[in-house]
Parts: sequence; structure tokens; C-alpha cells
Amino acid sequence: MSFLALDNIKKSFGQTQVVKDFNMSIEKGEFVSFLGPSGCGKTTVLRMIAGFESPSDGTISINGKNQNRLKTNQRNIGMVFQAYALFPNMTVFDNVAFGLKVAGKPKEEIETRVKEMLALIRLDHLADRYPYQMSGGQQQRVALARALAPKPQVLLLDEPLSALDAKIRVSLREEIRQIQRQLGITTVFVTHDQEEALSISDRIVVMNAGRAEQIGTPSEIYNRPNTRFVASFVGTLNIIEAIVVDPSANTVKVGDNTVRLREPVGALKVGDKISIALRPEAGSLSESAKGDTAIVGNVISSHFLGSVIRTKMDVGGNQISFDMFNAPDAVLPQPGEVLTLRFSSGDFLIVRD
Amino acid sequence: MKTQKILAWIAIAIGVIYFFVPLIGTFEFSLRMRRGEYSVDAYQSVFSDMQFRETFGFSMVMALLTIVFGMLLVVPTAYWVRLRLPQIRPVIEFITLLPLVIPAIVIVFGYLRLYNSSSWLPFTGSTSGTNALLVLSYITLSLPYMYRAVDTAMRAIDVRTLTEAAEILGAKWPTIMLRCIFPNVMSGVLSGAFITFAIVMGEFTMAALLNRPAFGPYLQLVGANKAYEPAALAVIAFAITWFSMGLLQLVSRFSKMAPSRP
Repeated sequence: MSFLALDNIKKSFGQTQVVKDFNMSIEKGEFVSFLGPSGCGKTTVLRMIAGFESPSDGTISINGKNQNRLKTNQRNIGMVFQAYALFPNMTVFDNVAFGLKVAGKPKEEIETRVKEMLALIRLDHLADRYPYQMSGGQQQRVALARALAPKPQVLLLDEPLSALDAKIRVSLREEIRQIQRQLGITTVFVTHDQEEALSISDRIVVMNAGRAEQIGTPSEIYNRPNTRFVASFVGTLNIIEAIVVDPSANTVKVGDNTVRLREPVGALKVGDKISIALRPEAGSLSESAKGDTAIVGNVISSHFLGSVIRTKMDVGGNQISFDMFNAPDAVLPQPGEVLTLRFSSGDFLIVRD
Repeated sequence: MKTQKILAWIAIAIGVIYFFVPLIGTFEFSLRMRRGEYSVDAYQSVFSDMQFRETFGFSMVMALLTIVFGMLLVVPTAYWVRLRLPQIRPVIEFITLLPLVIPAIVIVFGYLRLYNSSSWLPFTGSTSGTNALLVLSYITLSLPYMYRAVDTAMRAIDVRTLTEAAEILGAKWPTIMLRCIFPNVMSGVLSGAFITFAIVMGEFTMAALLNRPAFGPYLQLVGANKAYEPAALAVIAFAITWFSMGLLQLVSRFSKMAPSRP
């Protein structure tokens, strides 16, 4: 049985339905990310788990217990907010101790637990500081310790890294993941940053327009996107419009190139249009590259991006980008140059809407 | 550029002369009670007057009660408007601004009509009732300043997120209000309190029409009957106001340290 279950969750604000038939089962100790663009409903689902919003329909249960009728302060859930939300009038120690004090824990227990939490986030030397005396990253770590101190059943992270600068964001997300693993706490993380979601999650829920478009491991989401939305939202992807040539042989035509797909085209007939996707990192210009497929196109532009060189080429009206690793002797392809891009037929994904 | 600077200084000089010369004149006049030399006789006379102490004490008590009850009304109202009812914000703002547009005399006549001794709620039927009505009048009068001060302080701390943070940690409403919200809007509360204090200490219309022995009517009485003491009282009243404003500045300077936001 799943630990956190969301069954047929719906949420409407007036006439607008922001969450539509949302179903999700999260195992104990799992780290699940809700990924999607602004307004897709991911934060609303999180807020419903927290109890700040109540579902218009459906049930939320934790450890088999229905949470719908419980108030936020009765749910024993920890939450970290994007805006830190530390109490400005309290020191770090008092912030972390707040939940324990509210729960009426004995003084000695509070002190031990707060020290334990501050050691966990490596800020035990700043216990007497006030939030305004700390950096954003430190404040967010305190917010994490505060959320974990009362030993919640579930930890909710509402875009906790969005307000931080890039370097701290990377180090803090690794720290969050490490602490989550160490404590084995069931965690729901909301983000619109695909890299964040891909790097720290056990599973990702890609959300769009109030629905879960795809639920899967980071690798499944990235390598096997189910829908056009998931394919375009997660990572950079070339969507290529092709024409079916031979459905039985799974061959399609891209410009003047005929390529074979590993995935069956299904019920499509000869001449039907089909959308296929190709990751920029899948192709190679090298003749020695392992690959059973090649397409020829004209270079439109080429950009040096540091570790990679991204080249855009035109293949029968489709613009296809591909990446090459940078090397000291690398030469940028020139516009108008004719190139042959080699890749494996398995790199093509059929995109369904 | 230089001309602009000179013009700016001229404007400042005119302002300073306009505001300070009457004050300096009043202060200088208040020291002239003894013929031929400067003295503080007028101040001694004021401070030794029993009526001064009584009226000053009365107004002080009224001011404190106004601050306490005013805040009990304003802080939860501003909090709920921010948190749950942002759509009624324009209505609340309009209501809190009304005392600035409606003259005090109109408000107090309204009160006298509604709450006189033969009405269904006879506030003016007893001394304590009239005092209560005076406090309520003062709350109305100070509403524009109190509400704005508290509302601004609430805007600075992101009340919604702090409330949610406290709530998810298991806190109930009284704890949230007393431990998370109130201490963080203290600067606003104090700013509102000092303005209220300054207003109440010098208020005349309401206290006079409700016939209460407040400092405002005393100022008027002394002004009508004595020569040097009114000048001394005016200086004292200014000192009280400036002291309140100074405290207000001090509080707002400290409050700059408070917000914790990305």
C-alpha cells in the first residue's frame, strides 16, 4: 500500500478547474518531484496535501488515513517555502524549536532535537543568529531543519531553491537529497526547473494544465517521453515532422532521407504524417560513430556554448539541433555546409499528443 | 545646476522661517513672565497647576486606552483583510479614511445623537460611559493612521506565508497571532501608537463636546484666561508630539532589520 495517496483529486477556483483527476501513489521514503510550467497546478496539489487548500473532489490519504477533514495543523507535515518564511522575530534556535514548542515537548527534548537538526544542516554555530543576519542559502537550510524537527510524516518542498543563486542551488539540492535519504522521509518537491527534478528525484510527475502528463523515473521521463508536452518540456528536443513510407518496415521520410524507426508506427498508413523526436545529444558527425541511421541537411547556424557546440541544420523544412562536445581543435560548421548526421534508429521517439 | 541649488536652499529657508519663527517666538514669549529677564516661571506655573496634572493624566489614560483597544481592533482586521479577504481591502481603506474627511464635530454630534442618555445605548448616561465613548471617538479619529501603520508593517513581513509556516508546524490561531504575527508588526503597532498618542493629547473637539476634563480643553481654557502659560503649554504640546515622532523614527529604524525574505 502506498504511503501518500492522491485519488481522483480535483480542484476548482470558481469556474476554473486547476487540477483535473490527479492520481498519484507515493511510497514511504520516496522523493517525488512535481515538474511543470507556471500555472500547471503543481503548487495547488502540494497545498492540498498541506491542507492549505481543500480538494473539490477526491481524497488525500497518508499512511492509510484520510486527510481531507484534517486541518493543516493536525496533519503532521513539514513544509519548506520558496520565500523561506522564517519567523523574523526568532533566532535560528527558536525557529527550529517552534514546532516542538507548539507540540508541547519537554524543554530537554526540544534542546536535544534542535541541536540534532542544526548539526544535520551544519549550522549549529549560528543558533543565536536572527534570519536577517544570514544568507539566503543558510535561511533555507534553517527552514528545512525547522520543517524536519517535529518528525513529520511527509516533507513538502515548494520551489525551495528558486530564490537562491545558481551555485548555492546546486549544492543545497544535493544537501536536501542527502538529508532526505538519511532520514528516509517521504518527500514531495515542486519545481519548474527540469534539471533540479531530474537530478534529485526517485520519480517525477510532469504536470500540464492540471493533469499529470507522465509519471516516471527521471530516466524514463527524459528518454521515453509519452507526450509531445513532456518531450518538449523536459530537456531540449527536436520535434521532426515526417511522412510514413512503409508502416510494416517502420520507415519514414524526413526531407529526402528515409529513416527506419525502432518503435512501431502503429496503425498509420503510407503518406500519414508522424511526429518524431530526437535529442540534440543523440547525433554525431563522426563517420566512425556507431549508428544505423543518417540524415543529410544544410547547416543554418552554429554556436559555441562552452562545453558543447550546438549546430542547427535544415532537413526538409525541419530544423534539427545537435550537440558536439567541444575540443581544442574543434571547427564550427559553417552556414550552408552540407552535413551528415549519424545516430541510432533507437534514438528516434514517436511523439503522441 | 548652481541656480537650482540656490533655489532649493531658498525654498528650505522659507520653510524653516515659516515653521520655526512662530515656534521660537512662542518659546521666547513663554520665558518672559518675569519682567525684564527670561525665566521658566510660566512652566513652573503650568506644572504646579493641579488642573494641568489632572487633565494631562486624564488624556494620557485616554490615549493609552485608545492605543490598546484601537490595536485590538486594527491588528486582527488588517490581518484578516490581508490573509482571507483581500477583496474587501478597498472598502476597509475607504472606511479608515473617513475620519479624515468627516470633521470631528460632525462625528461627535453623531455620537451624541446615537448614544445620549435617552438612547438605546446610553453611553453619556454615566461618567465611565462617556469616557468609553471618548475612547471610541479617539479610536475613530486615529483609525487612518493606525490602520496604515499596521497594514504597512504586515506588507513587509508576508503575513500569508508566515501564517502558513506556523500553521503547518502545528500552531493554532492564538499562537500564530501572538508569537508569529504580532511581534513582527510591532514596529507598525508602535508607529500607530505614537501617532495616536500625539493626536489624543492635543484633541479638543470631542473631549470638549463630551464635557470630559482632557488636556485639549484645558489648553483652550488657559489660552483664554492667561497670557504666558498658554505659550508654555503650546511648547509642552509640541515637545510631546516631537517626542512621539522621535520614538516613531527610532522604531522604524529598528524595524528595518526585521524582514527575512529572498
